[in-house]
Amino acid sequence: MDGWLFIKLIHALRQVSLSISSQDILDAQTCLIRYPSLPRKQLLKSLLVHRPQDVGIFETVWRIVVESNESYETEHPLDITSNKDSDENQNSQGFGGQGVGRGSGGISLTAIGDIQDLSRISKLVPFSRLEELIGKGIEFEEVVKSALAEIDYYTWVNSFDLAYQRGTLSEDEWYTHQNTRSSILREIREQVLMTQVGFDNSWEPLVRQHWMFKSLSSLSEEEKELVRSSIRKWARKLALRPGSRWKSYNKGTIDIASIVQKSVQWDGLFLRLCYRHKMPRAPELVVLCDVSNSMASFVEFLIHLVTCLRARFRKIRVYFFIDAVWDVTEFVWDDDISGVKQEIKSWGHKVSSGFSDYGAVFKELAKTKFSDVSSRAILMILGDGKNNYRPPQSEYFAEISEKVGKLFWLNPLEVKEWFETDNVMKDYKSYCSKVYRCRTASDLQRIVKDVF
Amino acid sequence: MQTSPLDLAKQLEDEGYLIDQEAATTLFLALALEKPCLIEGPAGVGKTQLALALARAEKRRLIRLQCYEGLDISKALYDWNYAKQLLRLQLAKTEDWDEIKVDLFSEEFLLSRPLLEAILSPEPVLLLIDELDKSDEEFESFLLELLAEQQVSIPELGTLTSKSKPIVLLTSNNSRDFSDALRRRCIHIYLTYPSLEREIAILGSQAPELAEGLIKDVCEFVGKTRKLPLQKLPSVSETIDFARALNALQKVELNYGDLMGTLSVLLKYPKDVAKLEERLKKWETEASYKR
Repeated sequence: MDGWLFIKLIHALRQVSLSISSQDILDAQTCLIRYPSLPRKQLLKSLLVHRPQDVGIFETVWRIVVESNESYETEHPLDITSNKDSDENQNSQGFGGQGVGRGSGGISLTAIGDIQDLSRISKLVPFSRLEELIGKGIEFEEVVKSALAEIDYYTWVNSFDLAYQRGTLSEDEWYTHQNTRSSILREIREQVLMTQVGFDNSWEPLVRQHWMFKSLSSLSEEEKELVRSSIRKWARKLALRPGSRWKSYNKGTIDIASIVQKSVQWDGLFLRLCYRHKMPRAPELVVLCDVSNSMASFVEFLIHLVTCLRARFRKIRVYFFIDAVWDVTEFVWDDDISGVKQEIKSWGHKVSSGFSDYGAVFKELAKTKFSDVSSRAILMILGDGKNNYRPPQSEYFAEISEKVGKLFWLNPLEVKEWFETDNVMKDYKSYCSKVYRCRTASDLQRIVKDVF
Repeated sequence: MQTSPLDLAKQLEDEGYLIDQEAATTLFLALALEKPCLIEGPAGVGKTQLALALARAEKRRLIRLQCYEGLDISKALYDWNYAKQLLRLQLAKTEDWDEIKVDLFSEEFLLSRPLLEAILSPEPVLLLIDELDKSDEEFESFLLELLAEQQVSIPELGTLTSKSKPIVLLTSNNSRDFSDALRRRCIHIYLTYPSLEREIAILGSQAPELAEGLIKDVCEFVGKTRKLPLQKLPSVSETIDFARALNALQKVELNYGDLMGTLSVLLKYPKDVAKLEERLKKWETEASYKR
């Protein structure tokens, strides 16, 4: 492999937060020389990727650094907007009876049905068009949406959904379609990323798309599973971490009874010191979640975290709110959080107006729910603080703050948005032990370390 | 010693383990670089079986350390034989203390556990550290020296270096993440459920008594089942059990309508069985349309 290309690849991988040591580089060089017949990509992936979740990012970087370098000439002449492909748009009807023709040239997914040959996906949107969209300074997700709209992705998806609902599509065909759908999504996202990296001349766009740094509300199903699995791991780590009561010495405190018991083995001689087992501290945890539309995707992850942490606390209470409060503690005791999701969906329709009212919520909590909460309890509030211009009623929030040991507020908005006119964060902030930005998995990880 | 990933795959196949090309390449590189190999993946995809097959292929003795919460050095590496030491003290009441105290902590009084056994073994061995994710973080940190330098330190004896360079394989079900330090020292393989063709081949080799048609039907059915949102997806060994169960019921092909009562061989949670039973009705209707 060309040395310059190798250095570029290593540099790029390190930039996008892959941990590659000097030993890894040495191993890679050794194997490249020793086994020239082995596929380079496979060889380097085996030696440089140490976590399954990094495989995706390795593939993208490989495409940008190595493949685009080598196959630029062979890939680009096959522009999908060529006359050959436009034939497919003539007099054709999409699946489920939708999406006839486009009139604007370009390829339309509704015209070609399900794509069996995945190599064709990469030619769906012309590179120049992506450059044009990115040049307008639009956000990544918006560019992806525009690119998808241009190939009639949404009409195409709807037509298949309809066909499936009507029962004209078998489950096998449905699964095949789902695979194609996710391949198209992945491919378009990757293409936009590649274009953005080239346009910005920086790896920053790629770093932003790492699942740890992406907004929790814009994660794909696979990424959501990665976050959930990470939460389980963090929670397990916390379960192993001792509470503050036994932190005076690394091993805990001396256990006289066990020492005497052990000494029987050695004729009454004290040969080995025994220490008390470390006990996790177990205060009460109260969780309050705003479940209005904008917050639903964030709540899911916090509830998952609380579910994983339940063994660590003596008592856990979970409340959902929009403009009134309701208790969902029972759902936290089940590993399957689909019940919680259902509750989030149904609540808005059943009782609430759908618009958050923090003042009313804290008034209700202070008066009815917080009478028997422990003074050592941790209260965690997840909310964006957007109060729809209703009164904040800070006195009730202050009252709650006095009743509990610690009060942490997790806000998915950027810090500058906390101080907008309809946001109550500026009124409540002084009563909180700490306010965290909780927008990404990385934020959540930091909070887990800090709070628990 | 294998000369290529293909060669390694062939050797493993001879031992009854079918490996895909990507995993074979990674494992081949780990063996070539004499580095430990960390195999991750969901339960039942053949991580432990890979280690067993490799031990047979390499003609090495397998030393297995099964990890669990609370596993410590005295159970994994070594312990002193206190009873024997006491006996030695009883016998040596008249001897010189300086001599005895050196003698008491010699290899004679050392109880070797799996890790030390692998290090001290004069013949080549394969050390399998199974389900490392179940152990505590302290134990993981302790392993770093063994994985990087193939040596262990015993305070009373000093550092012991391996005599025959054992092949080290670690497996994990991903119930917790490992530190960067551990990952850096290993070559990483992620095993997942096999493709339809591979699973048919696995069943063909593991259960040759089954009819070809039944194997194909079962593998297709299990492949479909794995796409459902179940708490625990069926593993390869469960596929084999399920195919054998149908064979025991004299079935030569799989009919969706005849599966009630057999699904608990494939799935281990009642919730999952209920989900699949519900879906079976739909699949049955679809199949009847096709016919």
